Amino acid sequence: MLIANDLGIMRDGKQVVVNIDLALAPGQMLGVLGPNGAGKSTLMAALCGELAPTHGPVLLDDIPLNQWCGPERARRLAVLPQSSTLSFAFKVEEVVAMGRLPHDSGQQRDDEITQHALKAADALHLLGRSYLTLSGGERQRVHLARVLAQVWPGEDGQILLLDEPTSALDPLHQHTTLLAVRAFADRGGAVMVILHDLNLAARYCDRLLLLDQGRAHLSGTPQQVLTPEALKSVFGLDVLVQPHPERGHPLVIAR
Amino acid sequence: MRFTSQLIAIVAGLFITHLAAASPEPQRWVSAGGALTEWIVALGGHSRLVGVDSTSQHPPSVKLLPGIGYQRQLSAEGILTLRPKILIGTEEMGPPPVIQQLRTAGVQVEVMSASAELPALRANLERLGALLGKDGEARQLSDQYMQRLATEHQRVTQLKRAAPGVLLLVSHAGSAPMVAGAGTVGDWLITQAGGLNLATHDGYKVFSIEAMSGLNPEVLVVSDRAQNGVQARDALLRENPLLGATRAVRDNRVVEIDPTLLVGGLGPRLPDAVRSLADAFYPDAAPLSARVSNAQ
Amino acid sequence: MKPDLAPKTLFIALGLAWLLAIWLSLALGPVSLPMMDTLRAVLHLVGVPVAEDDLQQAELIVGQIRLPRTLLGLAVGAVLALSGVAMQGLFRNPLADPGLVGVSSGAALGAAVAIVAGASLGGLPEPFQPYLLSICAFAGGLGVTAIVYRLGRRDGRTSVSTMLLAGVAMTALAGSIIGLFTYLANDASLRTLTFWNLGTLNGASYARLWPLLLVCAAVIIWLPRRATALNALLLGESEARHLGIEVERLKRELILCIALGVGAAVAAAGLIGFIGLIVPHLVRLLTGPDHRVVLPASALAGATLLLLADIFARLVMAPAELPIGIVTVFIGAPFFLFLLVRGRS
Repeated sequence: MLIANDLGIMRDGKQVVVNIDLALAPGQMLGVLGPNGAGKSTLMAALCGELAPTHGPVLLDDIPLNQWCGPERARRLAVLPQSSTLSFAFKVEEVVAMGRLPHDSGQQRDDEITQHALKAADALHLLGRSYLTLSGGERQRVHLARVLAQVWPGEDGQILLLDEPTSALDPLHQHTTLLAVRAFADRGGAVMVILHDLNLAARYCDRLLLLDQGRAHLSGTPQQVLTPEALKSVFGLDVLVQPHPERGHPLVIAR
Repeated sequence: MRFTSQLIAIVAGLFITHLAAASPEPQRWVSAGGALTEWIVALGGHSRLVGVDSTSQHPPSVKLLPGIGYQRQLSAEGILTLRPKILIGTEEMGPPPVIQQLRTAGVQVEVMSASAELPALRANLERLGALLGKDGEARQLSDQYMQRLATEHQRVTQLKRAAPGVLLLVSHAGSAPMVAGAGTVGDWLITQAGGLNLATHDGYKVFSIEAMSGLNPEVLVVSDRAQNGVQARDALLRENPLLGATRAVRDNRVVEIDPTLLVGGLGPRLPDAVRSLADAFYPDAAPLSARVSNAQ
Repeated sequence: MKPDLAPKTLFIALGLAWLLAIWLSLALGPVSLPMMDTLRAVLHLVGVPVAEDDLQQAELIVGQIRLPRTLLGLAVGAVLALSGVAMQGLFRNPLADPGLVGVSSGAALGAAVAIVAGASLGGLPEPFQPYLLSICAFAGGLGVTAIVYRLGRRDGRTSVSTMLLAGVAMTALAGSIIGLFTYLANDASLRTLTFWNLGTLNGASYARLWPLLLVCAAVIIWLPRRATALNALLLGESEARHLGIEVERLKRELILCIALGVGAAVAAAGLIGFIGLIVPHLVRLLTGPDHRVVLPASALAGATLLLLADIFARLVMAPAELPIGIVTVFIGAPFFLFLLVRGRS
């Protein structure tokens, strides 16, 4: 369980994240929405210990995040950044196997998990390829497999933080990726995912946090957050919101 | 019994003649120092030299010998291939571990002074003479050397005239000339020949042409590594036309000297160079005395 | 994509090449020794009782000249290659050179000070006097790296990109001070400086070998222990942190390793270019970028290549010898260009 209370972050004397309360609970998937510059990535950086918050502690299993030692924290918490730069010709399975670095579960178990994670990210067919020969979308899926492998299978409430994991993906893989993440949450993992696609967020997340200039504009279920008024106020966008004909979750349509 | 002793005598005789035939082979010497090589040749030791360093450029015949590289970067094994008895060089020889390795390998390493001073030269010549078994010749050469320098000095000073201002330029195909300052052999040559070196800095430095013209030398001594003779002088004036305004060029008082004279310390050719410089500095000085001419 | 060489195959091949290079380095030189004499001399040196007749010369040449030289070559080659791997890991760039953080230029500055102004320094106690040049070069390399590292630190973190820029600026600054010393130098110092900048294994002696061997052993033992951490670092600094690596400590250790390794190698043998750049690159081409393989393989390959270059350097101009830096750069630079052109197509 990852908890932040009254979280605040200052950067160059400016408040970029103000007064955020959140809890990532096992089995739950929290979507973070907001326009560019709303503080989504900064919030994530604070939640994974990359940035020290100026206000309010971040607690991982009731212990402040900065008191965790590196490998132990890494076994509990994995982070997928927006983009990664790797300019060495590692093979796909080597990249994914790096997710197993904090563990000492043995070569055989690591290989199994690597396979599972690659399969979950729909990247099993990339096995044996050099990372440098992959397309942007394929690379993104390989990194997803890497972070999945790091906290696989997620049954002990491991936490996954994802920053726009679908940004480079085609429509099919946007869904397969989020399905894999959903499956991770359903096994007992806790997920926070930053998304730009409101409908994807509505489709896969249990709860949403709508950020506006570093503050929580709204927080709750997709039905509570994805209202025309809120979206107009935060994004300046005129939308219709209707229930999905088959699934019932809100469907956002631009007017 | 008689037969046996005869046999012994014959065998012994063969052996001794064999030894006798082997002994005339001269000692094998390697020289690592330009001026030292010249002195060894001047003392008749050319046949002993089996290798020289890169500063040994004179006489031209030594350049045909195997080269052992630069005197400060000698290679122990390389020198050992020449199977030398003696390695002769100055205290500039190195690196030190290589010299140590050569000593361990049984090479007699003779370290001489590199200083451009006459007493040091005298000591070096004495040692070379002793090594060559030509003490007498060495002493004679050294005496002559001193005497010729003294004679030149006397010849130009007896005119009791103000020394002409001189600059010595070393250039490469005429470009970027460097001026010889204090502590260089060039400076020593100018002074010995009764000139006044207008450059007062240490070592060789690049001067701007403007500064050179400003010093307005009466005589220019030029030395070029790429060309010699009149070509060197022409190249210098072509590359640096401003020099044409100096007194030296206007009065056509530009002398060339061999650049190999300027490296490696005090060599045997320096008195000749001093004389030709003195002639250029004092065109109306009395001719050489007969005594010195005989010594040529 | 051509399949990578299995690590086992690579290590067997490199190990054999390494042993062959050591043997050639002991057996080849301007003085031609019969093969058997070399062998007997080597055996005698390692304590095997052999008949000693006529062995004096062989033992002298092998034991006093070629063996220390071979050891020097092994250590310098291995340390330069390992430092190259460390630097490329630190900068996460396969074309980084160990000189980037200013070690080489600092060492060159130290050497210039020692060569040109050494006489006026003169403060060293007598037993250390012959090592003035090495000590100054080592101190210069460490000093400049420390400054570059210091400039790269901010808020408890080391910015690698700031270090890169600081390294460029410090290299330029060191270059201009070297230029000043060059201007002030007399002809003899000038030539010594020139030769030092080209590197050589000539004049290796046991007394000068020990400090380098110690540093070399430390680097060879320590760096491979951080192989997986280096792998993670290639993903990115924050990625490595999320994988539980103490990135700041790792970077500090890498920089220390490079400074000590390159500093000691340069102090012992002068500037030898391109080994640190080419060898890791070559190894990665053969087997992929996994540091668990790349580190030991680079140490072997670096040592092998440097020995081969040295054999060439000592033979080609005999009885004089070529500075080894000329050989390594002459081979290394075209190879580097080949990689560039190939990588583009």
